[in-house]
Amino acid sequence: MCLTLCVCVCVCEIVIVFCARSVSQVPVAEGKSVQQTVEMLNRKLEQLGAVKQGNFCVDCETYHAGAIGSPGQPPKFLYVMHNSEAPLSCFALFENGPCLVADPNFDVLMIKLKSYFQNAKSNKVESRGARYQYCDFLVKVGTATIASSARGITVEVEYCPCVTANDCWNLLMEFMQSFLPSHIPGVPSMFGVKTDGVYSPSDTMAQYLELFSKLRKQQAATGSGMR
Amino acid sequence: MEAPPVAVMPVTGGSIHMMEYLLQGSVLDQALESLLHRLRGLCDNMEPESFVDHEMVFLLKGQQGSPFILRARHSLDRPAAPWHLRYLGQPEVGDKSRHALVRNCVDVSASHSLHDFLLEMGFRMDHEFVAKGHIFRKGALKVVVFKLFRILLPGNTENTEPLSLSNLVELSVLAPAGQDTVSDDMRNFAEQLKPLVHLDKIDPKRLM
Repeated sequence: MCLTLCVCVCVCEIVIVFCARSVSQVPVAEGKSVQQTVEMLNRKLEQLGAVKQGNFCVDCETYHAGAIGSPGQPPKFLYVMHNSEAPLSCFALFENGPCLVADPNFDVLMIKLKSYFQNAKSNKVESRGARYQYCDFLVKVGTATIASSARGITVEVEYCPCVTANDCWNLLMEFMQSFLPSHIPGVPSMFGVKTDGVYSPSDTMAQYLELFSKLRKQQAATGSGMR
Repeated sequence: MEAPPVAVMPVTGGSIHMMEYLLQGSVLDQALESLLHRLRGLCDNMEPESFVDHEMVFLLKGQQGSPFILRARHSLDRPAAPWHLRYLGQPEVGDKSRHALVRNCVDVSASHSLHDFLLEMGFRMDHEFVAKGHIFRKGALKVVVFKLFRILLPGNTENTEPLSLSNLVELSVLAPAGQDTVSDDMRNFAEQLKPLVHLDKIDPKRLM
């Protein structure tokens, strides 16, 4: 589960989403699709000098705890996520709760727990795209899909040599400004909460979860608007 | 920093059909040294490892009759090692002539947040204990000889007392379902430990 080798086990990451629908945030011309925006971002990165190094995939499955807890309480949601950057790990999180890093057998355990935790398959969110390396930065631009329909764009920027989140936020912002359209969001909420400041892969997954939850809520809102 | 050039996909899922084959027995403290000596001779040539583990057994009560049991174990003498989560299914009622107890087994290595995570999932701790002993290996066979200690104050692993004057001996193999030759190998190995210890198939249901 835990990373390997030597030295700078990287990681100081941010994840931001550009949702093609959020007109105020992204200067996307009318008529541009999610795919076109992703291609535009990829081209900008390549012009900058970034080198494409394969693809990445982050996915998130939702389980809801139907049969547990007292009747008055709202149902608890357990999210099980995978990240191609950590292929032999499985991340399990509760929103604003503890995060567990486990090996892939955790998925098998969830199958055993199926009478207590139901897998809401239609809620599965995935982000897939290209992985670029530019000097000390790793950039992943992905198309986020819910049930095979594209719902937004995720951009993950990683500054590899640093593990202290608060030390390199400014550098990350400056780098992002070089290839992203105007709006850069504020510091991710968890940076303020961290007491020791050391970043870990579960922080990345928590950021993706926040993003995916936002996309799901937007999808639910649009769905009801169309009726 | 070299990044992997190939598209790496996340690995999802594991093996759902791993079975644990188990034989158990016990020896009194006086006979422990002789048993360890014989095991050193019979098992793979490596320094026998000693361990001190703290195990907590968690239950999840649902609407079904019997609760779901998970065992979370971590090392007290190697605190940096990952936690180990284990699910054990009901023993298979099959062939009576099979020499070992067979049950479905799912093993998961997990981070140190396991305890809090299980509580958040709705599990409650049923009981806990400390196990101190030695582990030997012969090919795929694992032999563990250990002593159980009762924890006197919940959560305090320093303050323990031995549960009995014996040591538990477990011979186990993890193998995919359907490999019944495994239990024959286990029986042959168990024969070599007689009369120091008699390893048997012990049905947990008969003890309750």
